[in-house]
Amino acid sequence: MAAIPNLNTLRIGRGGPRRRGGRGGIGSSSDGEPSERDSETARDRVVQQTDHDASSSRMSAIELDYLDDVYAKQLWTPNEKVPKRYPIINRGTYVRTKAIDKLVTLFLQAQPTQRKQIVSLGAGSDTRFFRFWVQGLLKDAGVTYHELDFEANVNQKRHSVRSSSVLSEHIKQAEKAGTSYNLHAIDLRDLTAKSPPPIPGLEPDLPTLILSECCLCYLPPDIASSVIQYFTMNMQSALAIAVYEPIRPFDAFGKTMVSNLASRGIHLQTLKRYSSLEAQRQRMRLAGLKTCQGARDVYELWESTAWVGDEERQRIEGLEWLDEIEEWQLLASHYCVAWGWTGDIFSEAWAALDGGQSTAESKHDDVTINSSTRRAFRDWLDPHGSSSLTISQETSNGIDKQLYMEQLRSSSRLLRISVNPSTRGIRTQNSRHALGYGATKPIP
Amino acid sequence: MSDLDKAIAQLRACRPIPESQVRELCYKARELLIEEGNVVCVDAPVTICGDIHGQFHDLMELFRVGGDVPETCYLFMGDFVDRGFYSLESFLLLLCLKVRYPDRITLIRGNHESRQITTVYGFYDECLRKYGSANVWRYCCEVFDYLALGALIIGASTDMQPTDAPLVDPNSQAHVPSDATDLEIEILNSSGQIINRFQRQPRQSGNSQDLSQLSNPPSSPSQTQPDQTPTRSGAPGTSATSNSGGSASNSSGAVLCVHGGLSPLIDSIDKIRLLDRKQEVPHEGAMCDLLWSDPDEIEGWGLSPRGAGFLFGADIVKCFNQKNDLSLICRAHQLVMEGFKEMFDNTIVTVWSAPNYCYRCGNVAAILELGEDGSNAGYAPRTNGDVGRVGGPLAERGQDLRMGPGRRYRVFEAAPQDSRGMPAKKPVADYFL
Repeated sequence: MAAIPNLNTLRIGRGGPRRRGGRGGIGSSSDGEPSERDSETARDRVVQQTDHDASSSRMSAIELDYLDDVYAKQLWTPNEKVPKRYPIINRGTYVRTKAIDKLVTLFLQAQPTQRKQIVSLGAGSDTRFFRFWVQGLLKDAGVTYHELDFEANVNQKRHSVRSSSVLSEHIKQAEKAGTSYNLHAIDLRDLTAKSPPPIPGLEPDLPTLILSECCLCYLPPDIASSVIQYFTMNMQSALAIAVYEPIRPFDAFGKTMVSNLASRGIHLQTLKRYSSLEAQRQRMRLAGLKTCQGARDVYELWESTAWVGDEERQRIEGLEWLDEIEEWQLLASHYCVAWGWTGDIFSEAWAALDGGQSTAESKHDDVTINSSTRRAFRDWLDPHGSSSLTISQETSNGIDKQLYMEQLRSSSRLLRISVNPSTRGIRTQNSRHALGYGATKPIP
Repeated sequence: MSDLDKAIAQLRACRPIPESQVRELCYKARELLIEEGNVVCVDAPVTICGDIHGQFHDLMELFRVGGDVPETCYLFMGDFVDRGFYSLESFLLLLCLKVRYPDRITLIRGNHESRQITTVYGFYDECLRKYGSANVWRYCCEVFDYLALGALIIGASTDMQPTDAPLVDPNSQAHVPSDATDLEIEILNSSGQIINRFQRQPRQSGNSQDLSQLSNPPSSPSQTQPDQTPTRSGAPGTSATSNSGGSASNSSGAVLCVHGGLSPLIDSIDKIRLLDRKQEVPHEGAMCDLLWSDPDEIEGWGLSPRGAGFLFGADIVKCFNQKNDLSLICRAHQLVMEGFKEMFDNTIVTVWSAPNYCYRCGNVAAILELGEDGSNAGYAPRTNGDVGRVGGPLAERGQDLRMGPGRRYRVFEAAPQDSRGMPAKKPVADYFL
């Protein structure tokens, strides 16, 4: 594994906004100084390399029989030793893969004669297309399968697929049966541009499932919402999104997670905004997936027989001696699968899934309402400690503003943000947006 | 400076010692440990520590907070190795200290002191990486087989000498007793400032049997009023039942220390003494249970999600303590975010001494200090096994439980990052990306 460079140095330097809108939101940012661009590239590289982590974990889980996936090896660098992961990582990889598999399977099985579309964001070395093709799940009426990722990742995958006779053959067979597999080298941020590049082969009329397994969370929150908005605006039929992401950044484990990953140059930029299961559901609601929304953390998924059957659980428990019970609970409760949809076909597929708010979850997430939350909100609202808060009224998408405002409203009760009418409508230097209203800096 | 002192100095600097020295050290340690019983007797005062897991720099922080060896007498309840990046240095340093100051440090076995577990959780790989061969791992594993299974602390005082230190939060003066008499629990931070104090509560009738209390026990004293402990505090065997003032002795019952917990096959401490411990930790049986079991909010015994050992409820603990004249069971084995956790009316406590476990969990760590009972000129009555027991049928005492020792917890955080020096080799991905 190539060592991940220490990018901490790159984070300092220019005082410009980094977390939100450092890139001006859109690829056409005017401040194109080389240093900024270089660090941007370096940051992107770190994100691209997270796929290696994911595929290492996948390979480890496969080697120990957690997962049955003969295709991952085809995409794995030949002769590279598969690292040994700890049992909790293997179990987490298992739950994550199976939970998304389940959502996809239920979608594919609903209305068998209906053609469908799947768009996997930041797919990296994911093997779901091949696994599902061989299982016969993509055969019924044909599926248009898209994978989007950085050019570097796509090129690597394209190369692996071409040099593997097994994979190439599957793609050929699939195409004969009316199922297409499309790899797109595309920077997701480009989808948020005013005139985004077309995604070749994307069919707006098909019921579409968007997948994001640890992908959107690396984007600035506004960009991440805009990417979703790209699909909600362009797709004309039933639409659903399923994400797998970290949550709960405010407790001791969460804070440690954020700082450990930051020291590797990995920034989970949407984590604070979608910090709880309910925030994830709300995100889906506000994205326009109004029919229904669900979310479960990985520990709940593991414990639920609806997601992991008893027999399967016993099989998994028998694979390795898992001594780290408390740590497993901690780790697994900091990742979630969230989904939301609009359209009958998804209701048919997913209505029986229980993803509503649970009592256990509210206990969990109540913990986040404390001083660290307040601090986090303050940082979030005012990352650079400028003298007055800027609250955008005209964010690039109107949808997220609602969540933003709602969180602000709920947080302002904690923060005692005082609205200062005199600054209403004033534009500050840093802000691209007009101010909705100014607020004095909360918490002295 | 002897070779041993040199080795200690080198290990304190987190530098491994040569293989030949390890072999010699392990040989000496085995000679020493073979003389120890399965249950080592330790006199208070003593500082009890939980899991270390190769977090060497945090072990140094522990010594800074708790005092150095030999000035402070330590008892480590196992799990020295695995998970952290410096299992080797941590274990060898503790072993050196054991050989150098055998009466000032006691090491008992944890479930990770095993060949099978260390091959999964990192110690084996670490030895291989640092020495190029598995020899050192093998020497260490032979020592593991000789580690005691438990320890019995005697002569711990029910009184606690209050610390003359300021409060962390002066505003909490209102609910932290300033009157420092009759303290049962004191919680200090790593700078020795008082986080909280709890006074001994007079026993209310029947409270030790109060099941409603059991179903929702305190997770730590900071969360609820602790202590439903009975106030019986006369010298064992006397009929004194008044509070400690004026009684002949302030000695509490003995404190049993074990890594995991109890076993359905063990109803007395003598049964632990009868085990043949000089072997790899078996997959089942009494020895396995002592190292693997966990207390839980259940009645009786339950299956453990760990796949080894059992879960045991408050009734089991109270019965065991009563039968063996114990005031407290002290164990490690489970990560507790607050560093320590008292359960079942303060009859059992979990002590966890690996802060920010696996450099990931964000928890604090704790050590537990038990003071010495000086009231009988340091004399602690002892018999073979059930220490403090001076005859008399059990029925006479009914369900009385011995008064717990005064307990001072020192809570500490992970050693600062810059003192740690990140390992040369990157650890595996700790998260899902």
